[in-house]
Amino acid sequence: MPGMADVTGTSFKASLIRAAFLAFTRKKALQSRTARRYMELHALSASLELFKPGAIVPWVSYLFPTELVRSYGLTPMIPEIGSATITGSDLREPVETAAARMALARDVCSYHRIGLAAVENDMLPVPSLCLTTTPLCLGNAFLLEMLASRHSVPYREVRVPIPPDEGEAVPEVVADVAEQLNVLHEDIGRWTGRKPDLRKTMELSNRASQAWGHIMAERLAGRLEMNGRRTFATVFLGQLLWGTEAGAKDFERLLTERGRSDLMAPRLEGGRKLKRLLWLHTMPHHDKELFELLERRGVVIIFEEMCHMHTETIDPENPYPGLARRLTDNTMWGTSTRRARLNVALAKQLKVDGAVHFNHWGCRHGLGSVPVVRSAFMEAGIPFLAIDGDALARGGPNQEKSLQQMESFLELL
Amino acid sequence: MPSAYYTCNLIPVDLVTRNGYAPRWLGNYLLDPSSPARREALSIHPMTCPYVTRLVSAADALLCAAPEGDCLIVPGGCDAMRRLGDLLAATYPGRVFVLAMPRASGEGAARSLAADLARLDQWLAELAAGAGPAAPASDAHCEAESSTIMELPALDYPSTPRTGGAFVVAGPLSDNFLLRLIDDLGPGIAGLESCTSPDRWRPLAAAPAAITQLAGASPAGAAASDAEGYFSLASEALAIGMCPRRSTADRRDHLARRLDEAQPGSVIYARQSFCDPGAYDALIVAELAEERGLPFLEIEAGFPFEASGPLRTRVEAFLEAQLLDDDLLDDDLMEEED
Repeated sequence: MPGMADVTGTSFKASLIRAAFLAFTRKKALQSRTARRYMELHALSASLELFKPGAIVPWVSYLFPTELVRSYGLTPMIPEIGSATITGSDLREPVETAAARMALARDVCSYHRIGLAAVENDMLPVPSLCLTTTPLCLGNAFLLEMLASRHSVPYREVRVPIPPDEGEAVPEVVADVAEQLNVLHEDIGRWTGRKPDLRKTMELSNRASQAWGHIMAERLAGRLEMNGRRTFATVFLGQLLWGTEAGAKDFERLLTERGRSDLMAPRLEGGRKLKRLLWLHTMPHHDKELFELLERRGVVIIFEEMCHMHTETIDPENPYPGLARRLTDNTMWGTSTRRARLNVALAKQLKVDGAVHFNHWGCRHGLGSVPVVRSAFMEAGIPFLAIDGDALARGGPNQEKSLQQMESFLELL
Repeated sequence: MPSAYYTCNLIPVDLVTRNGYAPRWLGNYLLDPSSPARREALSIHPMTCPYVTRLVSAADALLCAAPEGDCLIVPGGCDAMRRLGDLLAATYPGRVFVLAMPRASGEGAARSLAADLARLDQWLAELAAGAGPAAPASDAHCEAESSTIMELPALDYPSTPRTGGAFVVAGPLSDNFLLRLIDDLGPGIAGLESCTSPDRWRPLAAAPAAITQLAGASPAGAAASDAEGYFSLASEALAIGMCPRRSTADRRDHLARRLDEAQPGSVIYARQSFCDPGAYDALIVAELAEERGLPFLEIEAGFPFEASGPLRTRVEAFLEAQLLDDDLLDDDLMEEED
């Protein structure tokens, strides 16, 4: 099997290996015909284009409305996805070594730390422009502006005020964010010299949103039980595909039983009922043990907070207010009280047996809200567990501790 | 007079005093770590910087025992501080105001901060009215009283800053222990860049001209034209408060200017562990030092600052090496060789 280093090179040999690697991934997708495999193929295929000489590489933050770059035919590079991919490949050791050599403090978010090490050591493509939004965290803005500064490329941050604890953001706030997005979209055209097709991009994005919105509604209604870990991994990659033909088709594949067959929750023998967990914040990408433990104990992650987005349809003729609303009222944005309220409501709707919060290494945004979220769950009488870990790690002392904590929690359930 | 505790000196204290509150920097109210904690005391994740960690305990202890009228203002400059505000607001409803702080300093950012300052002004006025004892802000006696009670960070330079000394960049410092340590070791201090630095809090504490633009003596009589007053206030706060959380480009320009003005012989970055803005800021400062050929040292500082043995040794070794270099340059033998 070729490694990341083989497929991201610029030589003729690398392009041949890349073609063979993609053909192999395509074969797997054709055989399975599942949304998950197709999304892997399309996300990988689009991302590898970014390594070609002369490619325009927009580095964007996780919640950035990627349709704005997609409308110019550009594939976004999202630090979290890049870091998770690199650390899951044969470049794991080199990127960890590079990160360890960096002067950047080790206690910052590992997604951002690895992302910086990867781009500074030619493992991820250098940015052509860096774009971020105030949600979800300050670390994203620091990383992207530092990259922009080091590589002398344009940087822009879309300011999104904190939404109220109850109700929606006021129209003036949405209008202000919409205006920023509008100006930014025009600037991207100026910076890249390309012509946009935002209308078509939004139509494709809407197709994906409608499919995903339907799946989420079915899951919330309890009519569809999916494996949260796999679903998270799939939608995480899907972030790269909103607004593309491939992305629309891939999300629509989820509407068929065949298309989502490898994302379904397991069925227990003898019709026994699974224990159901709500997962808050990101998930360990490479650590299987925690999830294997859950499976052994008849527990499933029935829903994940991070996937609760992109379910609305946006007016393709005037997409900015809709894109702005997606940011201003994002379920993961706002105060800890808002986050707690939304997640407790979610847990009640899903009738989960408990909730798990993953305290990702260095994420002050996530772990800072845990005391408020924990009290809200306790008040609602829903068992709650917060475990420490690094979403990019494999094994280590934190994992041991998390496993022990999870064991005790499952016994409690 | 009720107290308005605050976590960061970027809040215009005049907004506080004009509403009849005595502004008090929360950093002056840290709990003695050896004192027994309350059973129900708030706790936060250990992967949080010492500043936020200590402020949570301090605010919790104060608000649970303080009169109802006392409040807390939290400029949410970073994720950890924003979450501190969230936690305390959830625990003490109606007594905590979290002020969103933009990273940029353009017109849009200033307008957004201005709107939040107006909300803060209104919130303080309503809180004061509800609390009862607050006097109207137009009461000159009250204003005079509150300004005497005003408690700002007490940090100051141990001696007059001088060229060739060490330029210190730090997060919030509770006292000048670090500065005295450097001063005592010989090279002196060329400058200090910190949110608790006198270069920062003195101009912020001085009544900004913008406050006088506000039409009413109190927000109860606020007029539409006040929007421009809040805007000036916001612009002023953003211009002075060029902290590590700010836009990289702006912060870099600011630091470069400060270094060039101070002409230091070396640069020391005292960063708090688990501080995201400090982590990225330290990289910028290291680059600026390298560009200027200045020796650079990064140390991990707590809050309050404690010069443990190893840390003291590192600072000593760094400064001694610098002094040794200077001595060798002055050596007669070198001159003879020339």
